Amino acid sequence: MTSTWQRVYRRLAAAFPHEFKLAYGDEMLQAGEDAIDEVAKRHGALGLMRLIADLAMRLPVEYLNEMRRDLPYAARALVKSPAYAVVGIVSIGLGIGLTTNLYTSTWVLLTRPLAGVQDANRLVTGETPASYPYIERYREQKDLFAGVAAVETMLEFNVGLPGQSGKPERVFGQLVSPDYFSVLGMEAQRGRLLSADLDKTGSTPTVVISDRYWRSRMNADPEVIGETVKLNGQNATIVGVTPRKFDGALSPNPSELFVPITVPATLAPELGNDVLHQRNAKDFQLLMRLAPGVTMETAESALDGITRRLDKDDPTATPQASKAKRVVLMGAGTHLPLPREFRPKVLGFYVALMVIVTAIACLNLATMALARGAGRRRELAIRLGVGASRFRLVRQMVTEGILLSLLGGAAGLAMAYGLAALTAHVRLPAGSPLAPDRAVDWHAALFAFALAVACGIGFSILPALHATKTDVAPALKEGAASQLSGHRRFGLRNLAMGAQVSGSLLLLLVTGFLVLGIWRGNSVQTNFDQKTMAFLFIDPVRDGYTPEKAQAFFAQLPDRLRSSPDVTSFALAAQPPYLPGDDDDFHLRVDDPKAATPVEKSVLKQTAGTGYFAVLGEPVLAGREFAEQDQRVDVEASAVVVPLVLNEKAAHALFGKGNGIGKHLRGDRQTYEVVGVVPDMKDATGMTQAIAYLPLTQRDFARPPGSGITIIARGHSAADAMGGVRTVVASLDPNLTLFDVQSLSEYFELIRGQMRVALRLFGGIGLFGLILSAVGLAGVTGYAVAQRRKEIGIRMALGARRTQVLGLVLREGAVLVGAGSVIGFLGAVALAKAMSAIASEFADAFAVGTNDPRLLIGAPVLLAGLALLACYIPARRATEIDPLQALRQD
Amino acid sequence: MTEAHVQSLIPLKTQWFHIMLSLAGEEQHGYGIMQEVLQRTTGKVRLWPATLYGSIKRMIEVELIEESSERPAPEEDDARRRYYRLTELGRRVLDAECERLQELVRAIQTKRALVTE
Repeated sequence: MTSTWQRVYRRLAAAFPHEFKLAYGDEMLQAGEDAIDEVAKRHGALGLMRLIADLAMRLPVEYLNEMRRDLPYAARALVKSPAYAVVGIVSIGLGIGLTTNLYTSTWVLLTRPLAGVQDANRLVTGETPASYPYIERYREQKDLFAGVAAVETMLEFNVGLPGQSGKPERVFGQLVSPDYFSVLGMEAQRGRLLSADLDKTGSTPTVVISDRYWRSRMNADPEVIGETVKLNGQNATIVGVTPRKFDGALSPNPSELFVPITVPATLAPELGNDVLHQRNAKDFQLLMRLAPGVTMETAESALDGITRRLDKDDPTATPQASKAKRVVLMGAGTHLPLPREFRPKVLGFYVALMVIVTAIACLNLATMALARGAGRRRELAIRLGVGASRFRLVRQMVTEGILLSLLGGAAGLAMAYGLAALTAHVRLPAGSPLAPDRAVDWHAALFAFALAVACGIGFSILPALHATKTDVAPALKEGAASQLSGHRRFGLRNLAMGAQVSGSLLLLLVTGFLVLGIWRGNSVQTNFDQKTMAFLFIDPVRDGYTPEKAQAFFAQLPDRLRSSPDVTSFALAAQPPYLPGDDDDFHLRVDDPKAATPVEKSVLKQTAGTGYFAVLGEPVLAGREFAEQDQRVDVEASAVVVPLVLNEKAAHALFGKGNGIGKHLRGDRQTYEVVGVVPDMKDATGMTQAIAYLPLTQRDFARPPGSGITIIARGHSAADAMGGVRTVVASLDPNLTLFDVQSLSEYFELIRGQMRVALRLFGGIGLFGLILSAVGLAGVTGYAVAQRRKEIGIRMALGARRTQVLGLVLREGAVLVGAGSVIGFLGAVALAKAMSAIASEFADAFAVGTNDPRLLIGAPVLLAGLALLACYIPARRATEIDPLQALRQD
Repeated sequence: MTEAHVQSLIPLKTQWFHIMLSLAGEEQHGYGIMQEVLQRTTGKVRLWPATLYGSIKRMIEVELIEESSERPAPEEDDARRRYYRLTELGRRVLDAECERLQELVRAIQTKRALVTE
């Protein structure tokens, strides 16, 4: 019995720190063994347990004591080599700063559960929107879903707060079914949230506001519940405030208002045209909570079946033979829901980016620590010689590493704060603010801290093990720098250095591909003076007009604008020109009964009013542009043939060499006739898409899109044009709001601001790799030179010329840089190809960059040049060695 | 070794006090201290081995005790054992601590006398 206790006691005693054991180990062991029988006799098992517990509790205390002494020692060691410390802090700081920035700006949006939501991982949504009647059928599947809500996100409301004079403000919000909050499992912070029982059609319109809106716009007024606000000109009662930090599900940018779909269409024009009962109006996103035990896959296949049946029952729909899934679900518990198959790739890309950045910083430090370890051989040998354990020395060096990277981590966190502050100032188009979650918070600080500790251990453990592998005797006997370890071809240091060069080049190239891909030469050429154009947005319906009154307003507006002396030309549209978009939202098929397989093409749909291309200075290549009569087409009647203008790219894809004027196209449920072809225009990001332009019609005036109707106006200057439009609109109705008024150049700036965030991030990462590898190479070469002083001295004494010495030192660096560059280059191209292959979203960005000779040749040359320069500076110092002095040393 | 330094070290931790008390009379090795404390307190205070040696280590670091170079007669000596004794500082700290405790005891007695009367 006691022998077991004895074994445990011995084991624990053996685990004490080396120094402790050296002094007291034997005695403690002896004391324990002497006492064990007596304790057992006197106190029994309880006493034995005390004996073991005493040891177990003391163990961490002793280790902490040891480390507490390591820390000041480490600090002294760093102070003694300030160059190493500064370079280390900067390298690690850059690495951690960038990684933390990546983490806060992107990772959090992709992975953090929505605030205030219960079991966010049980929430799912569909990849495509659905119509409300379908959603009602989905809601009946009680065995699949604990709740199903309908959501329309990114809507703008004109809000007039009580006691506030002046024009109402545009605020982002969501239109949600009343069960939205119960699906989220959310409790109100104040008042109540929406509920299916209280918010019924016909009852007083209600609205729930976000905590952020309540604090920023209502000064956290405790009396806010029950207040009446004007939403799009109609009264609505504030019934509650959401919990802190909640700013809407299914929306990458924050929503401030949550309006139930039971409000009348006068309040929310999106609800006009009876969309809640239109089985074709796929306007709503799904927000569903899986029932307990139901997996996303089960729910998906069940919903798919239900949807197929519903589609079959619909007499008006074009029959679909396709076997493709009609409902694809994805998780909805985060800010940015990503399709299931796409999500791991995006996350993987960001993890890879973070890992590479961190690894390069660590490698950089590791190479320097290796070199430094070589310089400390003698110190280490002496300490080993007088009885320090290898473990103790390794621990000491790792403590130094952790201290260094914690300092670096602090610097990095400061940098992340700086970057976040910079990003926060970037306005996005239409004034939507960046998600407040992108600010650096304690999660990020914790992340940076953990990363710093991991880095500290990561970069110092191998060099420490390497440095303490010294054979004590020769190291003591010979000079500190006697061993010419630099000649080992596959030494740890050379491997680390080569890995660093290749990693840096890989980073530089991949980010370079992305930067070029995003930027794409990025200047929009226009056939007119860009300084003369302005955009103004107007939305009479959200200002409280009835659809009929709005239509009447837009009927008057053109004549009045024409008579304005300040406006030389103008056009209306449902979106500003040059707006970037995806060309996959509108599917067109050539209506040709003779063709066996009709030509099909997905295009970007834009809506243009009369004179749209004239005001943009774009010539009509064939046919005509939209005229007054096109505005009166009833686009909702299925029998009507809707006129359509194609750009060259779309026309070419659909009709090849012919321009297709007069030909018919089939869309989802309508027939279109091509009436004109216009040139391709680059959008504000420099991309050219296949575009089909539809006429702006009475329906758009009665139910303007979320961003309102765009007035594109030109005058002698943008300011003139703005003033002219303002005067005209005010003369028609002074209460109408003109919002997001901006000149064309401001508009371009806004759109590019978004890209600039990405560019700055990726550019910063590439630059970081470049700087770090240069710093690392310089450091390592510098150490190599310092170690080989004696050898160089001898060579010079024997008559070696400066160029020969220079060559000797540079050769080593050049081989490393060369080998590293080749590996990095191949790695980057392979990575870019792999990324493009698995995700089309990357393919766009990579396609331009990977074919750009400036980058493919430029980046390696730049890196190699910088790296060689970094080698050259310390190498030149080698040639200034005085042979006499060098030989006298040691 | 100023008075302030001495004062900064008291009150002593219980186990430190017991260790120093055992060393007050004679030099002792670790196991001897353990036994002595056990006897003196009639088994009420047991210094468990790790606590004992941990304390000894800390007390050497703050220079309350030191390792003694003198060894007992060869027939009683065990080469593995180290002997410890109080330093000059240790003696003064122990003195000050005893004085403090005596003050305390006097105060207690006065009070108790008042209560029982």
